[in-house]
Amino acid sequence: MFNFSDPTVLLTWLLSAIIFLPAVGALILCLAPRESDASTKRFSLFITLAVFALTVWLAIPGGRVGNFNFSQPGMQSIVNHTWIPAFGINYMLGIDGISLPLVLLTSFLSVLAMWASWPITKSVRAYCALFLLLETGMLGVFLALDFFLFYVFWEVMLLPMYFLIGIWGGPRREYAAIKFFLFTLVGSVLLLVAMLMLYFASDVSKLSQAQQVASNLIGHGTKHTFNLLALMQLGQMPDSPFHQTLLWGQSLSWWAFVLLLIGFIIKLPSVPVHTWLPDAHVEAPTPISMILAGVLLKMGGYGVLRVCYPVCPDAGYHLAWLVSGLGTVSMVYGALAAMAQKDFKRLVAYSSVSHMGYVLLGIGAWSATAGTSYDPNYWNMAMNGAMFQMIAHGISSAGMFFLVGVVYERVHHRDLDKFGGLFARMPVYAGISMVIFFAALGLPGLCGFIGEFFVVVGTWAYCKWLAVVAASVVVLTAGYILWTIQRVYLGPEYKGPHADALTPMTRREIAIAAPLVAFALLLGVYPQALFKYTEPTIGKTVVQKLTDWAQASPKATGHDVTEGRSQ
Amino acid sequence: MDLNVLLPRLLALAWLLPLCSFALIVFFGPRMGRAGRYAAHVATTAIIAACVLSFASLGLWLTQHPVGAAHGAHAAAVPPHINGDWYSLGEFGSLRVTIGYYIDALTLCMFCMVTLVASCIHVYSAGYMHGELHDVFDTFGPTEEGRMIRRRGRYYRFFQCLSLFCFSMLGLVLAGNVAMVFVFWELVGICSYLLIGFWHERKSASNAANKAFIVNRVGDFGMIVGLMAVWTGMGTFSFGDYKVTKADGTVAMAPGIFSQVRPAANEHKLQIPDGMVKSAVGSQASNVLVGKSDAKAVAVAAQDIRDLSAPQKLKDWRSQGLGYGLLVIAGLGIFCGCVGKSAQVPLHVWLPDAMEGPTPVSALIHAATMVAAGVYLVGRFYPVFTPEVLMVIACIGCATLFIAATVALTATDIKRVLAYSTVSQLGFMMLALGLGGWLAGMLHLFTHAFFKSLLFLCSGSVIHACGTNEMPSMGGLRRKMPITAMTMLIGCLAIAGAGIPATVIGFSGFYSKDSIIAQDLSFWAANPRLGGWFFYAALFGAGLTAFYMFRLWYMTFAGNPRDGHVYYHAHESPSSMTVPLMILAVLAAVGAWNIPFTGGLGLQSLLQQAQPAGIADGVSGGLYWSSIAMPAQHLAHEHANAIKAEWAAFGVALVGFLLATVFYGLRKLDPADVTRAFPRLYRFLFRKWMFDELYSYCLVRPMLKISDWVAAVDRRGIDWLVDGSARAIEGIARVDDWFDRIFIDRAVNVAARWTYALGMRLRTIETGNVRQYVLWLVVATVGLFVLMSFFWSYAIAG
Repeated sequence: MFNFSDPTVLLTWLLSAIIFLPAVGALILCLAPRESDASTKRFSLFITLAVFALTVWLAIPGGRVGNFNFSQPGMQSIVNHTWIPAFGINYMLGIDGISLPLVLLTSFLSVLAMWASWPITKSVRAYCALFLLLETGMLGVFLALDFFLFYVFWEVMLLPMYFLIGIWGGPRREYAAIKFFLFTLVGSVLLLVAMLMLYFASDVSKLSQAQQVASNLIGHGTKHTFNLLALMQLGQMPDSPFHQTLLWGQSLSWWAFVLLLIGFIIKLPSVPVHTWLPDAHVEAPTPISMILAGVLLKMGGYGVLRVCYPVCPDAGYHLAWLVSGLGTVSMVYGALAAMAQKDFKRLVAYSSVSHMGYVLLGIGAWSATAGTSYDPNYWNMAMNGAMFQMIAHGISSAGMFFLVGVVYERVHHRDLDKFGGLFARMPVYAGISMVIFFAALGLPGLCGFIGEFFVVVGTWAYCKWLAVVAASVVVLTAGYILWTIQRVYLGPEYKGPHADALTPMTRREIAIAAPLVAFALLLGVYPQALFKYTEPTIGKTVVQKLTDWAQASPKATGHDVTEGRSQ
Repeated sequence: MDLNVLLPRLLALAWLLPLCSFALIVFFGPRMGRAGRYAAHVATTAIIAACVLSFASLGLWLTQHPVGAAHGAHAAAVPPHINGDWYSLGEFGSLRVTIGYYIDALTLCMFCMVTLVASCIHVYSAGYMHGELHDVFDTFGPTEEGRMIRRRGRYYRFFQCLSLFCFSMLGLVLAGNVAMVFVFWELVGICSYLLIGFWHERKSASNAANKAFIVNRVGDFGMIVGLMAVWTGMGTFSFGDYKVTKADGTVAMAPGIFSQVRPAANEHKLQIPDGMVKSAVGSQASNVLVGKSDAKAVAVAAQDIRDLSAPQKLKDWRSQGLGYGLLVIAGLGIFCGCVGKSAQVPLHVWLPDAMEGPTPVSALIHAATMVAAGVYLVGRFYPVFTPEVLMVIACIGCATLFIAATVALTATDIKRVLAYSTVSQLGFMMLALGLGGWLAGMLHLFTHAFFKSLLFLCSGSVIHACGTNEMPSMGGLRRKMPITAMTMLIGCLAIAGAGIPATVIGFSGFYSKDSIIAQDLSFWAANPRLGGWFFYAALFGAGLTAFYMFRLWYMTFAGNPRDGHVYYHAHESPSSMTVPLMILAVLAAVGAWNIPFTGGLGLQSLLQQAQPAGIADGVSGGLYWSSIAMPAQHLAHEHANAIKAEWAAFGVALVGFLLATVFYGLRKLDPADVTRAFPRLYRFLFRKWMFDELYSYCLVRPMLKISDWVAAVDRRGIDWLVDGSARAIEGIARVDDWFDRIFIDRAVNVAARWTYALGMRLRTIETGNVRQYVLWLVVATVGLFVLMSFFWSYAIAG
């Protein structure tokens, strides 16, 4: 266990350290004698920084243990140990081009959010402990490859969030917290049901020896498995055990897909299950809003990409219209709702609904069999665009919430009609805000553009009308963002209370915003920096496999060309 | 070094220099001297260096591709060009989105024009914006209580945005693929937004900036649709052919957009690209399969789908016109973006409002370069346009030039007159392009850039001197500002197309406008039924141009001062402003001339070299509207046609000029009488054909209403459901609680009471009497044995 010359042991410790270092930090905070608030925050910041350093190590290409290997599109750095052998539950972690960017985003935003927590004064120790516990949950979700473990981390992240909103939030914090909790809990329950359905339908004996090795199954002698890689293999088999009919003529795979999808789109969030988001954001303290928008929403998209589609491809194929339709509706609906908001933070929250719609659309636009030409490239583009959008939105929305927080701390209100003239009073702040807001607007050269453009352009091959509706959102987005900029930053004078408090940004605030600006620029100018990680994985392990699957099972996809009839 | 390597590097350097200047000013602007005084130097140096590099590149280009070489014999060949990629934004299998370059004579001309005009405007701005060097007491941006505000000067920020704009504009021109065009398309849009809103304390300025960007985004929406059609139908955004590395490591050339639409094998004639044909066949066949109408159709569709992977029937399908619709959508979509950017009807409303920006910005962005980008893109994308699309372009251009020219008649704000004039001239360019006159349209782009930037800078000089934009309070200024008056007169002559018919002597506008009119005329000859409309509209527009331009000049410079106060304070501008005026005046006069002793080198021959392959003989053969034929360009230049056009143009311009002279120069007639004679028409024109009111009532307000509804659905609909269900569950919990207390708890309590009571009763048994206890014991023992005898009888027996 402590033989560090063994690479597997080292890897286990490395990945476990990434996940559990924050939890250990939280434990130390609970047990350690009471220190000053400042040193508590510094300690927490140090922990998040350490985790960030470890995740950066994962992203560095190279041959050392844990480093990223670009030539391996599939799962790499897999750690697999038995945990509860009686049920075939493993402690299985791994990294690929889908999870790594999200892991990095999580650890990166955790550092910034922790640093943005400096103004928190209420029970700082508890706050920091919960914050660190939350980070453990988030990182665990992205690293887990065992469905059960995934679910455990999913739940671990829920409770700290509830308390962070419910205790440190604004005036309606209790309503917001309970709303967040209940919404997410409903999602979790559906997730649990779907997980158990898949578990009890799974049968590892159906997998060939090579497939078992590929999915890193370690023998417990159990028939069922929670191993996500094995579930994917099972789901994509022509005679998949998930094809059994379950209820109302639909297969188990179909039901599992629907349940998982609902569970994940609550988190994403998509219309019509999005209303927890504006309330949670408005009430949550600034750093928690950053985490909520920057990381938590991505779990929904990650879940759809990692679990829904690969495990239940035929349901995904038949329900592609639903997924992409929901995405498009969210885009339009979120943008329209944002336009009507009077509260700065609520507006940003609705912009998140709109932007995350792109993610759903990009993932759902199953164009790989459009016109039965089996050309996976356009879907690949849309899916990569969706993945890019997740990271880009993580940067721009976290930035926007932080920037809202900066003024809120000074003037203690968020009424959009009572701002104005901030450009003259806080020039650096206004400049940074412009960049971040333009990134959200999808201005080329900044990160928002690439995701939106690739998703929308990639969608045309799937459905022209959907693509046209999606493209029209650029007008609405420009409308609400520019209108906001006008109301807050431009104009002759500041119209709200506490005008004297509008001091320029502090060094700490600039230092938090600057990396976000830098990444918005970097990803906008050189998106390959991210695509280099995501494209091989999404292209080869998701899109190509599902396209092959569609080609191999024409009956399932309704494109049975050889008989000349559509099923 | 090889030109194919050297030229991209030189132009990239010219392109990136303004970006460096931008970055420098962002970080060090406020520290560049007092109030950022030296930011102007940084930006100006960068753009002048870019200008030198551009002209050097053009010179190098001419050493290898002399003009006239491609003339005549090889007119049908692909024009010489250099294209390639610098890096890719994303690669997905065979799909690549890249940042690259496409350099031909048009690119080089645009580079030279943009950098030259921009250099002049940078120098001019250094003088014009000096008010921003110290604190500004902004009289135009009062607070809500009407209090004036005092603010810091923003001198350096102006040059920062100007540099960013130059970078974006050059990127747009250099772009090697249409996605990159879109990237820089948006960037010039945001620069325009920032500069229109430069004085953002003024509500009118920030409103105008928002309007400009959002209206442009409406056009961009169409452009994205066009991009999607191109992308999915052709599998590339690249203009030229590009290298691909195959799986086995060999490098091959893949056809770009131009080669797919006009392949050399088809003699550069328009053909539906393979991808679009296949895509149309695929979706048609899928629809049949899903519909399952009749067995025969299904069998055909299934066969079609099988043939898709080995398209032996491609020729058949193409001759059936499958995929033509996609080509039309691609063309219309791209043009939609151009409608927004080049302020064509119905998206022209932003440009007049954009005059809220400082005047040099109006000259550079909203006259010479950015608004011409739409025309440039139409010219660049020309090979892809089908006759139907060209017809749409011509109609939009025609409507634009007419509407804008009429509005310009009534405007009194000097910059607004110029703005509407710009819109009208852009309409001229679009009209020419739409009717097949590629050269005429592109030439007008360049000549217009020279004379319109000149006119704007002159107006800026006037505004700088008078402190007002309103022409009715000017007058007689030629005595105070002779240089401005003279240069502006040259500009007016150029835009009116002054020249001597039947010779080649004239101002730059003479060449371009006459060739547009000539193209209209030859289009009329080819399409007798509808060509007349375009011809007369263009002619009418040309007459109006002369009228409103001289009206402007007379009202500003001629006659006696109308406002003594304004006149008293007026003065000629400093040399930093007048020198650029003089340079631009020279260009406005001679911009379209051939350079002497170079064998016909000049703007026209350069553009001639860049003319896309296959369009010289006109564009015809549309599948939807087959009777339309855009005539070959050389027909317009044939003597009979050209002479007719020149005299017609000369005539209307003369009439316009004379009318303006009578009304405003000599003041023999009072224009107020005319407005009194047609009050309704005047009001209609004065309110700009009511476009703003129309959009406000039909688009903006409904949109805001809908967004309010959507927000209300969230609050009162979805949240009502969520909160309601939460309350319902809470209610159920209350009922549950009540049930617990009333029934279960009571039952438990009753049971407890009964037990207690029973216990109390049984207590009486415990008497302490030993005899009684023994009796109980015996009775119980006997009873137990009797019970046991029932159950264990077998065991005992067995």
